[in-house]
Amino acid sequence: MGKAEYKVVGGKLVKAQVERKDDRILRVKITGDFFIHPEEFLEELEEALAGKLLDESILKGFIRSLAEGRGAVLLGVSPEDLAKCIVMAGEGDG
Amino acid sequence: MVERWRLLDTGLNSAYYNMALDEAIAVARSRGIVPNTLRFFRWEPSAVSIGYFQSMNEEVDVEACRRLGIDYVRRRTGGGAVYHDRDGELTYSIAVDEDDPLVSKDFQKTYETLCSGIVHGLRVLGIPAEFKPINDIVVGGKKISGNAATRALKVVHQHGTVLRQVNPKLMFTVLKVPSEKIRDKMVKSVEERVTSVEWFLKRKVGFQELKEALKRGFEEAFKIELVPGEVTGFEEELAEKLRREKYSTAGWNFRR
Repeated sequence: MGKAEYKVVGGKLVKAQVERKDDRILRVKITGDFFIHPEEFLEELEEALAGKLLDESILKGFIRSLAEGRGAVLLGVSPEDLAKCIVMAGEGDG
Repeated sequence: MVERWRLLDTGLNSAYYNMALDEAIAVARSRGIVPNTLRFFRWEPSAVSIGYFQSMNEEVDVEACRRLGIDYVRRRTGGGAVYHDRDGELTYSIAVDEDDPLVSKDFQKTYETLCSGIVHGLRVLGIPAEFKPINDIVVGGKKISGNAATRALKVVHQHGTVLRQVNPKLMFTVLKVPSEKIRDKMVKSVEERVTSVEWFLKRKVGFQELKEALKRGFEEAFKIELVPGEVTGFEEELAEKLRREKYSTAGWNFRR
């Protein structure tokens, strides 16, 4: 299990815990003091991230399109911030 | 005609009931059982609340809370961990219809609008408060109020704090400060980042005086009349159910 914290500039604190298998996400848990509406979107995102490649640019695009598709609004954190923190945490695993 | 909102003052309650009643009011509002509502409340015992997306064990020293008899609860809103002192803090919540002109599709803009009630109220007391994005109210750059909101069932539910007094020592006994934040803000002590009504005004300000000022602030900022009312039977029953089945359970509070 790899862990990372990322302070968003002018925003909030994101924390991620990642279990990886090779270059892919096995499981991810994201916590922090940001806002996401609707709130349930984060759980959906965590599930959807399983199996994804630990690549910042790919994850950023995936998170952005999933959020847009669901009409989810992120405040104090961006898809880029989440992707960055997840990759940092993934690098710390194994 | 000026729109009339219900004003509730529910006094001192446990963290679990406080969060349950907030949700119950939002549900009652969504069903049209009650009008738009402003509620004032306090915490007994003192409590810690964490944001919806936070981890209880990462943010809160649960053992210290148990030792000190301090409640700990997860909110239905995002945002950060807050220590709610029984005697130092006044908390408010708003349940307003999503179609109300005060509510924008833009979440950031809505924070600013709904926080304007607190900003005006503090100015009534002579405190030159200002809204600071994303969700804070500051005086001379120091935080005096934190706010958090959610939307569900076409209702915006926002709650927030107003610091009457600050107790940083107790605050940091029960809250774990993330290392990144320490690093980021190491230079600034709590006293330099946070202020309170009494600290700023250098005089005693009782809860009654504070509530009256905030009531006026909300009435002026929202162009409404706040009419003192009661918690309905529906809200009371739902709050009790939510307290028992949600907010007081480990399943909810430790879910992240």
